[in-house]
Amino acid sequence: MNHSDTSNIVDEIATLRDALFHLALLQLRNKSEAEDATQEAILAALESHTGFEHRSSLKTWLISILRFKVLDIIRAKKRLLPVSNMAKLEEELDVTVFDSLFEENGCWSAPKDAWSDPHSHVEQVQFFKILEACLTNLSPTASRAFLMREWLELSPDETCAQIGVSSGNLRVILYRARMQLRHCLDLKWDRNA
Amino acid sequence: MSHQVPITCKDTTWLVSDARERELTSEEKAALTAHIEHCELCQGASKQFEVLFRQLGMFLGKSGSP
Ligand SMILES: [Zn+2]
Repeated sequence: MNHSDTSNIVDEIATLRDALFHLALLQLRNKSEAEDATQEAILAALESHTGFEHRSSLKTWLISILRFKVLDIIRAKKRLLPVSNMAKLEEELDVTVFDSLFEENGCWSAPKDAWSDPHSHVEQVQFFKILEACLTNLSPTASRAFLMREWLELSPDETCAQIGVSSGNLRVILYRARMQLRHCLDLKWDRNA
Repeated sequence: MSHQVPITCKDTTWLVSDARERELTSEEKAALTAHIEHCELCQGASKQFEVLFRQLGMFLGKSGSP
């Protein structure tokens, strides 16, 4: 791909705006904050796009700028105090998914389909759409915690402080988020096409 | 002499998740490998997690799309 034409790159940045907003929203779970982060990332990209060196795709570059804007917003906020109330946490977690996954003896209750990575660009676009839908299905707490770890790469300690939970609770939240994502993708992704 | 406690499928999923936060102990790694080696269900599930984490990395802009 050739991004050397300035008007091209400006157009392309604009077409990626929605994708950036959706990612910011999954992390922040707040529309106006997600708008702000997206707006700032786009402005920063437009100001510095001549410095974009094509070592990565434009989208990857934009996501890395967005990441810093989201981090600024998160770190500027007052941290919550740890909540030791596990009952409140349980409310946020979708427990029903887990009832049917394992037998009482801890064995999987159903065979697992063999997944393979998407084979083409079209398949990958489809996979990402489903992944985004599955991330949206997570509770706000689970989504924020999961993406703080997997995207922002905050340490487990900082993630606990930001979410306001103990490290034991964080472990449960992340476990369930990963299990829910696998389950959701298993239901929605037709990978044997 | 190593004395290995067998783990369940459910235990393996906890270890697969925990491994994203911390380095597993050598006992945990051994138990995980031993279980998956003999369990077809967990072979399927760990392949699914592998695909999930790899695609998530691409979705989050951490590695290039094909
Ligand atoms: Zn198993």
